[in-house]
Amino acid sequence: MTNSKISVPEAISIILIVLAAHTLVSLPKSLLNITGSATIINLLYVGIILFFLILLIVKLYKNFAGQDIIDISNFLGGPIFQRIVGMLFIFYFIFSSSILLRNFCECLKTVYYPMTSLFFILLTFIIALCISNGFSFSVTTKINLIILPIIFVSILFIFFANNQNLSFENMTPILGNGLFNTFVTGLGNLGAFGGIIFLYFIPPYLKEPKKFKKVAMISVGLAIIYLIICVAIILLTFTFLLKVDEIMPLYSAARYIEFGSFFQRLESILLLIWIIGMACYFSITLHITMNIFKKITNIRDSKPLIVSFALLMLSISLLPPNYAISKYLETTIYPYLVIGIGFILSTSILILAYLKKRKSKEFIENETMD
Amino acid sequence: MKLWIKRIFILIIMIIFLVAFSGSYSALSIDNLSTVVAIAIDTSDTNKLRMSFQFTNASSVSESGSTEQSPSIIYSIDASSISNGINLMNTYIGKELNLSHCKIIAFSEELAMNGISEEVYSLFNNAQIRPSTNVVITKCSAKYYLENSKPLAENLLTKHYEIFANSSKSTGYTVNATLGNFFSNLVCSSCEGYAILGGISSEDNETTTTIDSQKDSSNKANSSSLSGRNSSENIGLAVFKNDKLVGELNSIETLSFLATRNEISSFLVSVPDPNDSSSYIDIYLTPVIDSIIDIDIVNGSPYIKVSYSFTGRIYSMKQDSNYLENDVLKKVSESCSSYLKTVFSNYLYKTSKDLKSDINAFGKTAKSKFLTTEEFENYNWLEHYSDSFFDISVETSIRSSYLLTET
Repeated sequence: MTNSKISVPEAISIILIVLAAHTLVSLPKSLLNITGSATIINLLYVGIILFFLILLIVKLYKNFAGQDIIDISNFLGGPIFQRIVGMLFIFYFIFSSSILLRNFCECLKTVYYPMTSLFFILLTFIIALCISNGFSFSVTTKINLIILPIIFVSILFIFFANNQNLSFENMTPILGNGLFNTFVTGLGNLGAFGGIIFLYFIPPYLKEPKKFKKVAMISVGLAIIYLIICVAIILLTFTFLLKVDEIMPLYSAARYIEFGSFFQRLESILLLIWIIGMACYFSITLHITMNIFKKITNIRDSKPLIVSFALLMLSISLLPPNYAISKYLETTIYPYLVIGIGFILSTSILILAYLKKRKSKEFIENETMD
Repeated sequence: MKLWIKRIFILIIMIIFLVAFSGSYSALSIDNLSTVVAIAIDTSDTNKLRMSFQFTNASSVSESGSTEQSPSIIYSIDASSISNGINLMNTYIGKELNLSHCKIIAFSEELAMNGISEEVYSLFNNAQIRPSTNVVITKCSAKYYLENSKPLAENLLTKHYEIFANSSKSTGYTVNATLGNFFSNLVCSSCEGYAILGGISSEDNETTTTIDSQKDSSNKANSSSLSGRNSSENIGLAVFKNDKLVGELNSIETLSFLATRNEISSFLVSVPDPNDSSSYIDIYLTPVIDSIIDIDIVNGSPYIKVSYSFTGRIYSMKQDSNYLENDVLKKVSESCSSYLKTVFSNYLYKTSKDLKSDINAFGKTAKSKFLTTEEFENYNWLEHYSDSFFDISVETSIRSSYLLTET
């Protein structure tokens, strides 16, 4: 299936880079908009639900070791159903990464390249992901494995370096925007865990498919911790970020870090790290997308498609006429896509495929008994 | 053949990017930039704002060497908004203003009284301006403040601007009020804004014949006892309600503000001598723990309990002093606690009843008394702050004096 097998840490880093990429732009602010000062409580609540959901996915996956959701769709509904599901996932990956690319580049343009055309900033990433996809998938995952802990450290650094602004009183009023918003509407915050969708595509790449459960559980645990820290940076240190909308709230928080008059403007280093992380995320998404396309079209080699898919990403990222629309797509549409495609569609496919498999097993057992 | 195609492809990409990013080279080269170190914003007779930009002459610094003070240049322009002012100044000086090294934004008192939210929002929206830039409200015109801001013990003006607010940690007579904090307070529904109070000392300050250590702690900008050549003095605090300047705090009130907000590491106070009511003892105090704030809403009014705890050493010494006796130290501690309680109480009631401005951010603690943000917003903390009552307790423990313990 694939000639690039990955280890457990690499698989975990793939899932987490999705979350990291989205938090660097506007994800923490989107969460805070829904649940306000109760966001940390909401994330713990959503995290518990997510753990149960992951346990269900892992249980259902036991009968489909080494297969991804596209293979399972084929088993469930045949090639036509497989193609429909495949196209949906291709749409999801291309759409989400293109919009994120657009928003991240808009932020870069605002902060560092006010005079450079947005097209060229986008093109820089497109060329980078074309080159990286030319190499084996394990090259990208290994670089991702190196850069992800650095991103985590950078987030921790922002949190601790801003400790003089830290105020736990900002977690009050304890119910934030209300009980209903925290525990019912707040369920929409499940959309923040978009990285979980990659779980459905990881099994064929795993060196040890039996460790799928370990990958899933560790990823979810780390994702919740990471997201809580990101939200805490904004909620506990900079209350004004709750009231106003800033491009890249974590970058804004990083601008406050100063150690005397010697170490200032450290956000530039952090942004450099984040740019590499973003490139890794886009590269991984492109690879997974091409792999889905390869499966649904039965082509032998997907490498010639790199440029086509990369240009497709570039085109979609250029579609929104302004930042308001691209931000709306990222903050409002993206979470629904995650919940719709990532949680509802994929879990339904898994459940139905599980039932079909059990039924066929029972049928075979009855046949042999007869 | 394949290798040749690759090389040509790389070459094309390099050319594309050289052209694409060259837009930044022509406009952002160091020759085309003018680095602004301070901005002064005043009211104008001919337009809405009079903006003054202060630049340092880098070439003069290198010529004169490091022992002389660096010269500065100030250009002013009348404009309807901050961005228009910057744009017009770009045209006049033929260079692009770079605000990334701007250390101070000074607003005149007159402008601040009319409200400065529009200006603060515009400045905060500028990607070049750092959130750590100090905000000063000047008792004189903001331009005059910049013109006379000559560092007393420093050669470089930029360095002076960067470090002058650091004295707040050890003296408590000024604050480190940054644009980031000011903006944060401006949009906050549980606190109000504040800024550094600045002024210019006059050369012929009144001389007084009365010796009064309490007068030392009632100084504020433009009315301090500093004399000598004209120089900026940043003593006290400018208090805002929403975006409008509503009052000032003198040095001891500013110290109370910092002690309440836990933003002071140590400070000197003159407390009445328990053995001689006509004299004072100077004590160097250090907070033991952060001030403890507890708030209750009683009959719709905030009831605020604040507890302070300090430890200190006696700084002043005279003949026949005996600080080796426990009773003496205990009496000094009691005198100090009583004095500070009065000072803090006066300060808190001043912010509540006179200024009606919660610069102490008590509202952040009060939020815990409400279940939802909606309930808190409906209560309207900032309006109810003027109904507040305070219960203050101060505990002071004087350990000893310094080198001399008994004379």
